[in-house]
Amino acid sequence: MVKAFGRVRALDKVNLRVRTGEIYGLLGPNGSGKTTLIRALVGLLAPDAGMVTVLGRRMPNVAVLEEIGYMTQQAALYTDLSVEENVGFFASIFGAEDNVDEALKFVDLQARRGDAVANLSGGMRTRVSLACAVVHGPRVLLLDEPTVGVDPQLRAQLWAGFRRMSAAGVTIVVSSHIMDEAERCDRLGLIRSGRLLAEGTADELRGRAGVDRLEDAFMRLSAEADR
Amino acid sequence: MIALNRIRRPVAVAKRLLQQFRRDRRTLALVFLAPIVIMALLGALMRGSGTVNPRVAAVNQDRGPLGAVATKILKDHRGFRSEATAAAADKALRSGDLDGYVLFPASFSADASGAHRFTEELHIEGGSQSARPYLQQAVAGAELAAFLGAQAKPLALPADSPRVSYLHGGPTLDALDYLGAAFIGVVVFFLVFIVTSVVFLRERTQGTLERLMASPISRGELVLGYMAALGLLTLLQSIVVLTFSLVVIHVHNQGSVLLVLLFTGLIGLGAANLGIFVSVFSRSEFQAVQFVPVVVAPQVFLAGLIFPVDQEPLPLRIISNLLPLTYGIRGLRDVMLRGSGILTGEVLGDLVILVLFAVAAVVAATASLKRREPN
Repeated sequence: MVKAFGRVRALDKVNLRVRTGEIYGLLGPNGSGKTTLIRALVGLLAPDAGMVTVLGRRMPNVAVLEEIGYMTQQAALYTDLSVEENVGFFASIFGAEDNVDEALKFVDLQARRGDAVANLSGGMRTRVSLACAVVHGPRVLLLDEPTVGVDPQLRAQLWAGFRRMSAAGVTIVVSSHIMDEAERCDRLGLIRSGRLLAEGTADELRGRAGVDRLEDAFMRLSAEADR
Repeated sequence: MIALNRIRRPVAVAKRLLQQFRRDRRTLALVFLAPIVIMALLGALMRGSGTVNPRVAAVNQDRGPLGAVATKILKDHRGFRSEATAAAADKALRSGDLDGYVLFPASFSADASGAHRFTEELHIEGGSQSARPYLQQAVAGAELAAFLGAQAKPLALPADSPRVSYLHGGPTLDALDYLGAAFIGVVVFFLVFIVTSVVFLRERTQGTLERLMASPISRGELVLGYMAALGLLTLLQSIVVLTFSLVVIHVHNQGSVLLVLLFTGLIGLGAANLGIFVSVFSRSEFQAVQFVPVVVAPQVFLAGLIFPVDQEPLPLRIISNLLPLTYGIRGLRDVMLRGSGILTGEVLGDLVILVLFAVAAVVAATASLKRREPN
């Protein structure tokens, strides 16, 4: 898949396949193309060359969108509405009004359900945004840096939730530049300058680079690609 | 059940917008309080007790009798006094004590009887518009009375007001009625336009539009939801403005209130979709506000609010005929001042044009959502 904005190649011959029920991590620095890739996956961007297939159907496809949960990088919420009203609104777009309680429980925000989003901290807004993305029980979950500003305890809790969803067959693609988070993914794709440098489990990547830390592996593999 | 499913998403969007409006006191004030303030100001300015009271004078240098008679008649008029010399009058004009004066020259009587011409001079301060017509009218009347009185026995001059009969309205109809009917349409158009363009822009900038575009809602469903919520808002706003205009400041209405609401409703729907469309071209709320004069100015001047469209120069008239408010204002005046029904004169035509404009705006708004911004 190729996508260019003007002369900048945001995605340069990226070819990847995510297996059903796995947690796939997109690892790369800011501006490497992670968000562009996720937007292409959800059909918001049409690739200049190549194609995107989700659940066996070519994107963009409205029927497939019913099955996708998409969490944008910026906590895209109506700040003058309450937590519950936000989650309720996105639920009603999918016809999933009954799931609001469950989604609030998933992000541990039941106690704040009546609060206006404007009065919440950044981390809490991220959690509301996540609740909006999972409320309709999607089969594919696309998360663009989902745990920015979330404290470590809650991050662990959310990842436990992702694990449970994955075990139930939900496919999750998560972008991140936090190495601790990358460790929790089943497989990783290293992205830099719009190119997919390497793919594999965290252990495989470390092994291939011959280093102990994932961060070093990322540096080493980037440098190799430059050569 | 299928039909219910079809409207589920638009209803969700409309419900959410109304929840947002309910929370947003500023927007509520803009939508409901601002028009009342505007109409109240209009009423106070146009029907208030402040009357024009120009300070004017007459200077008589006439060697014959007419100038003196005319000066005497003028002195009975409001705000008139007589000045002995032109120099004194000029001084008063310069110091701001006078707005204007009339000078009857030495040959005034001779010119009137010999050449049948009135040769008075008007001297105007020039900074205010009201002195000249007032002076001119008073002088013309006084001269005629003086001339006729000198020629023969004084005539019974025509009364101040000739007998007038009205096809529509009546003697009490004034400028407020004429402007008020149009203002209701203008106020609805602009407030709905501003609110929609900013609310929709916020949907873009805060990222919720991106989220909705990644959901199964279609562009048409989204626009429909916006239309439902803003249509309801427009209707409530129209009812408030109309009630205030008719009950409190007594703007004349001879036609059906429902027809008036139909007009304001259509004006509002067009404005709402125009707002959505325009928000595509803005990246911030400040940029959205920059569109307000672009949309507002031509319609204030060219839609017939103040200057009648059929008296405009041809190129401007062509522009006027492309503006939706031209038809809205004409329709509102036809209904409110002339009591036209839906089938009278151009009312149906105006309604059809407003519907067409609203449809065009809906299509443009829907199409504009396609433009997906690069990162």
